[in-house]
Amino acid sequence: MAVSWLSRLAAQASVPVFPVRGLHGEEAFYQLALTPGIELVDSPRHASILLVAGGVPPDQHDALRRVHDQLPAPFATLWYCSEPLAELASATRLDDPGALPGALMTIHRELMSGKRGSSPRLLPDEPPNPWEGLGDDGHGGEGMMGGVPYGRPMAMNMTDDLRDGLTLDSLTVILGPFLPMLPPGLSAKVTLQGDLIQSWTTRGAPYPIALESLFFQALQGPVPIAALERARARYHLKRLHFALRLAGLDRLALEALRLAFDSHLSLKGVAILRRRLMRSGFFRLTATGQGRLDEETARRAGGVAARAAGHEEDWRSEDEGYRQLGFLLLTQRQGDTAARWRQTLSEVEQSLQLAAQAEHEAVHTQRSDGVETPRGTWHRQWPEEASDLLDDLLPGLEWDEAMSTLASLDLAPLSPWSLEETGGAPITQDIGEESRA
Amino acid sequence: MELLTLFFIVLIAAGLGLLIQWLPMRHQPMPPYPQRAPFLGGGLPETHAWSRYHVRYYPMTLLLIAFEMEMMFMYPWAVVFVEQGMKAVMEMGMFLAILSVGIVYAWREGVFKWQ
Repeated sequence: MAVSWLSRLAAQASVPVFPVRGLHGEEAFYQLALTPGIELVDSPRHASILLVAGGVPPDQHDALRRVHDQLPAPFATLWYCSEPLAELASATRLDDPGALPGALMTIHRELMSGKRGSSPRLLPDEPPNPWEGLGDDGHGGEGMMGGVPYGRPMAMNMTDDLRDGLTLDSLTVILGPFLPMLPPGLSAKVTLQGDLIQSWTTRGAPYPIALESLFFQALQGPVPIAALERARARYHLKRLHFALRLAGLDRLALEALRLAFDSHLSLKGVAILRRRLMRSGFFRLTATGQGRLDEETARRAGGVAARAAGHEEDWRSEDEGYRQLGFLLLTQRQGDTAARWRQTLSEVEQSLQLAAQAEHEAVHTQRSDGVETPRGTWHRQWPEEASDLLDDLLPGLEWDEAMSTLASLDLAPLSPWSLEETGGAPITQDIGEESRA
Repeated sequence: MELLTLFFIVLIAAGLGLLIQWLPMRHQPMPPYPQRAPFLGGGLPETHAWSRYHVRYYPMTLLLIAFEMEMMFMYPWAVVFVEQGMKAVMEMGMFLAILSVGIVYAWREGVFKWQ
């Protein structure tokens, strides 16, 4: 009886969802983050529902199976704009973004009341390496050194610590592609010594990001600058949301996201956000001077990262429409994590200022042979994917510094499809207003 | 007698604690191996996590103990200080001087620099 009472209580609690961010699946989670009653958790161990949004390339299906099997029973899966794994053919698939929160809540309620069975385990219940009965005492070990407790070899690869040369064991792991603190799709082989990153080898590039269709239209003909600049501000605010969530500033993260989805996005809202960011210590958190890009790397990273390192490259200064609005190129000098966020926030403010001005004067872009995307200049060629620069940048940093550096860099390639084409949600201010009420 | 009572109290408390833990777990099998693996976003660890690494706050804790010892001896000293007069002041001065040598040494070694 006690158990049924507990499960009734559990069914009423908010729905713990572990997000698997697939190809072009990011947008669905922005909406869910703003939906009350749904909690996006950072570990599958805390979740009841695995939500896979967007396609997952076949070579990452094994990784997806591993994540799937790490949810504690009973759990369910929901596939949004994504093909379920072959073994889960009967799993629920959904393509309508509006129905997502409702479907999640229904599944959770059914799961807790026992109406719906748990998703089947996909991997065999076997230790990763055989160990039982092996070794001197049947514990898998082989003497003092070089043992394989529970089937995994002990760390024996001793390398000098990068910080002070103290030689100790280092731990090598493969991270990603579904680790919530990394950009979606990014996977890397990382060697850690304590909390220090000894080496970082990027194995899989992050998934391409879809831009709003306006940026594509700007390559075909004049588009209103007001709309283009608002789209840019939205993009940067979404990135800020990710970084704030990573920093543990959940309320501020939601505020940034609400601003991004606010149809009346104004300078005033961003000014309030900036003040709160100052007070929360977000800039101090990233102000250790870490993650500094040298000149060449900053140029490769492009966009905000390049301008934060002092490169004066911005297609907008080439465009007559922007010149008419008195566009001034903003740069920073330091090129580190804090400088990138200062630059991002200044650019958001600048974009909104330009948007307000352009709206008033109905100014359009003049040149269509290039466009300044939020990711960098798109002229003759796309901003290139640059995730391999992490291999040189991150070693020597402590874990928290490395993660905040990673969040401040926008390295994913651009998708050839626009947000609207990839089934990305339209701007839904309804959700924002609902949760604000 | 009192010890026996205490023994029973401990026995009942431990028994109750174990019972409460056992009751909901009695029909639950161990989670399968894939679920018990560390969560790395789909990746796998190459080595076992039983590795030695440096506890970076270790010198800080030693330093804390140095200061704490100082305070610990100063409490009884403060009680007899008025009674003993100058002698107590000298003795404490010597004790602090020896202890501060340790702190000066730690300073030279860069303990106060937070890494």
